[in-house]
Amino acid sequence: MNHRGGWALIRRTWASWMQYRGFFFLLAFGWMIPPLVYLFVWSTAAGGATVGGFSRGEFVAYYLVLILVNQLTYAQTNWIVGDVIRGGGMSQWLLYPLAPAYHVLSSELAGKVVYMIFVVPVTAVLAITLKPELHASLADVLAFVPALIFAWMLRFLWGYWLALLAFWSTRADALLAVQDALVFLLAGQVAPVALLPGVLGSAAEMLPFRYMVGFPVEVLTGQVSGTELATGFALQVGWLAVALGLTWILWRRGVRHYAAVGG
Amino acid sequence: MPEPQITVSHLTKTYRVPQREPGLRAAVRSLVHREYRDVEAVRDISFAITAGEVVGFIGPNGAGKTTTLKMLAGLLHPTGGDARVAGHVPWQRRPDYLRRISMVMGNKSQMLWDIPPLDTFLVLREIYRVPAAEFQQTLDELVALLDMSDLLTKPVRNLSLGERMKCEMVAALLHRPAVLFLDEPTLGLDVSIQRRLRRFIAEYNRRSGATVILTSHYMADVAELCPRVILIHHGVLLYDGPLGGLVERLAPFKLIRLTLDGARDEALPDGLEVIEQENGRLVLRAARRDTPALTARLLSTLPVIDLAVEDPPVDAVIDQIYQEGSV
Repeated sequence: MNHRGGWALIRRTWASWMQYRGFFFLLAFGWMIPPLVYLFVWSTAAGGATVGGFSRGEFVAYYLVLILVNQLTYAQTNWIVGDVIRGGGMSQWLLYPLAPAYHVLSSELAGKVVYMIFVVPVTAVLAITLKPELHASLADVLAFVPALIFAWMLRFLWGYWLALLAFWSTRADALLAVQDALVFLLAGQVAPVALLPGVLGSAAEMLPFRYMVGFPVEVLTGQVSGTELATGFALQVGWLAVALGLTWILWRRGVRHYAAVGG
Repeated sequence: MPEPQITVSHLTKTYRVPQREPGLRAAVRSLVHREYRDVEAVRDISFAITAGEVVGFIGPNGAGKTTTLKMLAGLLHPTGGDARVAGHVPWQRRPDYLRRISMVMGNKSQMLWDIPPLDTFLVLREIYRVPAAEFQQTLDELVALLDMSDLLTKPVRNLSLGERMKCEMVAALLHRPAVLFLDEPTLGLDVSIQRRLRRFIAEYNRRSGATVILTSHYMADVAELCPRVILIHHGVLLYDGPLGGLVERLAPFKLIRLTLDGARDEALPDGLEVIEQENGRLVLRAARRDTPALTARLLSTLPVIDLAVEDPPVDAVIDQIYQEGSV
């Protein structure tokens, strides 16, 4: 593996993206809006009492953490993979003596840094004005870190294997829009997963989407512990293994297909 | 005879292309049942190239030039046949191989739009693991050859097409590849940049001893750079040899340009064919071996003001091949 080359690529991508940080700040602002809307909806609904066990301040804490986690795990890179495959940019990637995954990772990591420059201060200001109630123990924080990393990997790889379908189908990124919609519904954005009714709630717990955003938020806000936490991690890692396997298979087959049909 | 650096034997590439009739109904039907058609892009091509040669691939659009080039660069897997470049099977795409080649595509760019070229070059230094001193030396040399030191720190989006192509060339050569594939490097460039790039490619080849394979639709590129051309048409290799030989084989005649005193109709000697005639200016065609005798007859029998004997233009010859599809 050519890590030095990969690292250089990451730095260059970051430098390039900083050139139009204003655009990315606007994008990040757009992505903050839906969770902010639900923050206000639920904290207003709770009023002085609680809804589903959440007080007003707990809703604020939940959604502020969610804004950060959503931003950190959102894999915007996958939207360009299809274009790279269709536009023939993949040829250039394949000509370098460097694993093509670095190109994707460089854009992921560069993006995270640029977005965070905007999102962290904004969230901090919101936290000061909206007075969240966050009861996080040290154990919660310690569990949050791996939950967040796995969540990013899962959300990224899940989108990546979908994006790789562009090797065969011209408009595979429609599937990314479906993924975004399912994340919105089932990953704790519309409402914390614990508040989802009946079948929807059980589905959310089994499907991979909660483990892309909601799960680490729940961990940090102290909603899951003990067996639930263990089950959560097991499902998260399980889905991650599925995503990794699919990515590996689709990448190998995709490149073989690309070499057969030409870019 | 030195060992060839590139050997290609019976290389074949067949694409399966999905096809459907126009219209909505056909579109829906193709969702369920796709029909494919086999397109033979490259058929049974063989040749060998020695290290340091500059070879031009010529042929009309869709002839299979780029497909062949992509197979040699490892981007495409052939349907049949075999190729070895610098001791490697290209389509295995081993890092050792990729470090020894470079490909420039006239219609693609590896420069990043928003940052200066120098930043991209520095990344390439890391990707190809070029030692810092060697990198600086190569960069200085290339920048001097292309006279582009002022471009290094401007964002790429502010550069003209020609300036960008200079950057692409530098980017492709920083790791000193032993084999260079150029797919229409002069596409869309103005005449002086084209000439500058041609001189650069020739000079680079002379200094570094790199093998260069070039495709171009500009015959000037090929005529100036490539002592040897490989003509591909409908995926078949039609000719492999010097460009001059191709012209001679295809056009066994010469052109005689003649200016006469006055616009009278003169009787011409036999064996001359009038191609153009306007106000006493004539363009005549004569068989190559008869040309000296016919020229002498013209000079002695007609009131000649000016006379020139020329080879037919390369472009016209090439056009003839492309139209007829044979040599």
